[in-house]
Amino acid sequence: MKYGRVYIEDVRVGDELPPLVKGPIQQIQLTRYAGASGDFNPIHQDDEFARAAGMGGVFAHGMLSMGFVAQALTDWSGAGSVRKLGVRFAALVRLKDTVTCKGRVLSKASKDEVHTVELEVWAENQRGEKVVAGRATVALPSRV
Amino acid sequence: MPTQINKGVVGKEFPPYVVTVERGKIKEFARAIGDLNPFYLDDRVGQASEWGDVIAPPTFAVTFRDESADTGALLRELGTDISRVLHGEQELEIVRQLTPGESYLCRTKVVDVYEKAGKSGPMAFVVRETAITDRANEVVATLRHVTVIRL
Repeated sequence: MKYGRVYIEDVRVGDELPPLVKGPIQQIQLTRYAGASGDFNPIHQDDEFARAAGMGGVFAHGMLSMGFVAQALTDWSGAGSVRKLGVRFAALVRLKDTVTCKGRVLSKASKDEVHTVELEVWAENQRGEKVVAGRATVALPSRV
Repeated sequence: MPTQINKGVVGKEFPPYVVTVERGKIKEFARAIGDLNPFYLDDRVGQASEWGDVIAPPTFAVTFRDESADTGALLRELGTDISRVLHGEQELEIVRQLTPGESYLCRTKVVDVYEKAGKSGPMAFVVRETAITDRANEVVATLRHVTVIRL
């Protein structure tokens, strides 16, 4: 259900987000993200620079992966629904990696007519290793 | 010989700076992520929405920077350089959606610097917080940014 709206009444603790698969990561995407974000750290563009820095080659901006996780959330809960998102960048995302974003509902709350859902969110590479791990809070509409 | 990190930067406040959100930048950013949500990309969908215009994707505010500032200055002050830096953690809280043409005031300070042994050697963590306010001085978003420096 892309760009769907879920209602607070439809959500149960333990529900999982529909997984969002992104990639394989290509250099051109890192170059586009650099231009769009203004983060021109050569470590994401220049393989020689990244190797000389001891990183074993180019890797993706952490913020690109966080953007993927945010997309997984809003594909489910709708644009403008994210209230909080906090992540740790657990491992590097390399060229050709596939990033799958996932999430699980931890709790629901309603206060002053505002209905929120807290989720555990994470992203894995094609080997099942976590590259991003965190928490999110989204606001949802009510049917009543 | 590991780098000595300068913990004297804790408490440092950067000069406040103003960012004006550009419609084209929102769209370029959403497309770079590959997030083709029409609420970011389609002006007509935006106009018909509760916000009256397209909105920025959740992580857009993390791109806000002081264009007039020397971005390498903090790294030099810490005693490191760009090749040693990784993004460790990022948190954001969104109170109101960011929309095109709006100007926001950003205030960033260094709230903590600490060292920890990592998998690949000693590392320093630099924690910065940014408050983003609108023209009415109301907070629209806050950011917490943890930079990791390989010592």
